[in-house]
Formats: sequence, structure tokens, C-alpha cells
Amino acid sequence: MEKTFKITASEGLHARPATLLVSAVNPLDAEVRLVHNGKPANLKSIMAVMAAGIPSGAEVTITAEGADAEQAIEKVSEVFVSQNLGEEI
Amino acid sequence: MAFNLFKKKNNGPLQVVAPVTGEVVLLEDVPDPVFSQKMMGDGVAVMPSGGAVVSPVDGTVEMVADTGHAVGVKSGDGTEFLIHIGLETVSLKGQGFSVKVSQGDKVSAGQPLIEADWAYLKEHAASIVTPIVVTNGEGRTISREADGPCAAGETVILSVSAD
Repeated sequence: MEKTFKITASEGLHARPATLLVSAVNPLDAEVRLVHNGKPANLKSIMAVMAAGIPSGAEVTITAEGADAEQAIEKVSEVFVSQNLGEEI
Repeated sequence: MAFNLFKKKNNGPLQVVAPVTGEVVLLEDVPDPVFSQKMMGDGVAVMPSGGAVVSPVDGTVEMVADTGHAVGVKSGDGTEFLIHIGLETVSLKGQGFSVKVSQGDKVSAGQPLIEADWAYLKEHAASIVTPIVVTNGEGRTISREADGPCAAGETVILSVSAD
């Protein structure tokens, strides 16, 4: 499963957004990745998400694999919307 | 305890030195819930008094924010440390920071990572308090080892041991 978002947070995915996204998917079993410019980052690792250095305006695709993949995508969407991090495209 | 010693390759827990000179602050007392509620991970903070931000362990630079306000170092045993220089400092867009390392660099404990213009940060940041947290703390015990003043690269402020 996957879903693509455009980052609208003015500072990009820095420490707080990265932490909120990782916290949302960490309890799940699915493998969740954030893909930017073709490069995947583990969405269960704060360091990996911050290292990806996602700026405002970037397009990112969230991919999830596993039994609860659908739930993972839902959780990520929730965080994107509720924290004004990005919008679905 | 004996079990832990046998399980670990080196002797005892990983010793983590202060990333900056100043006063030790409890993570719970950092006025930002991402840190105080340990959402990002367990650790400690320092209220800096001056000098460079240095590596807390021997390891590899995992991440350097383009804006210079945060840096991540992974120690040889896989423990990841994130140092966030001041609060809400992402919004300074690099002003007040001078980055001395790149992602992938091998660094030694005490080696300068980022130089900060503390006077500028005091004026423009929400706070200069600098948390250092373990972002992959699952399966690890993180203990605070210091209180009061700490010296960058010298004072052991945290220890990390595998459960």
C-alpha cells in the first residue's frame, strides 16, 4: 500500500514532525517507509526520517507492507492532516 | 548483572560524555513536550555556557540538519544519539550554527560537530537548552550519570546498557 503527500509544514520534516510520524507507526507490525526522490527511509526510525532532510514542498510517498499496512497508512495520514504537515496528492 | 556482562562485547555500559559545556538539566524540565515527555527518546539536556557542540561518543555521523540545529551520532554498539541545539531552532534556518562534519564521518568523543553562536541563539531561539536523546532506546537502559556542571567531551552524563 502507498499514499503520496506534499509537505506543507514550513520547516519540513524536522525533529517534532519526524517524532510524531514515527510514534504513530512504531506500535504496528508493518514495514513503513518514507520515499523521497526515490530514496526510502525507515519511518520507524527518527534518525532515518531526520536524515532524509525532507523540505517544505517536497513530495513523499509512504509505503507500508504487512498485515496492518492499511492501518499504518491511515495513522500516517492522520498525523499529516492533524499536525498540518502535508496534504494528500 | 553478570548475565549482562557476558552478553556485552565490551566492559560495562556505554559511557556518554556531555555534548556541550554547561549545566545538566533533566529532560523532564525541557519546555518542549517532544523532549520532556520523552517522545523522541530518553536522555538528558544541558544548558550551555559556551563552546562547540561535540560528539558524545566514538561513532559515525548519522544525520546533520541542513539548518545546523541538530546532529545525530551512532556509536559502535548501534546506539543513536540526537543532539538538538536549543528549542525551535529549526526556524533560524541555519543562522547561528556552523557545521563541522558531514553525514558518514567517523568521529571521536569530544570532537567538535557544530559551532554555535550562543549569543545569537540566546537572542533568537525559544531556549538554548540542548537535549541529547537516544532515538532507538528500545531494549536499552539509559541512565543519567551527572548533575550540575558538565564539561564538553569530558563529563560522563549518560550511560547506556543493553537490557
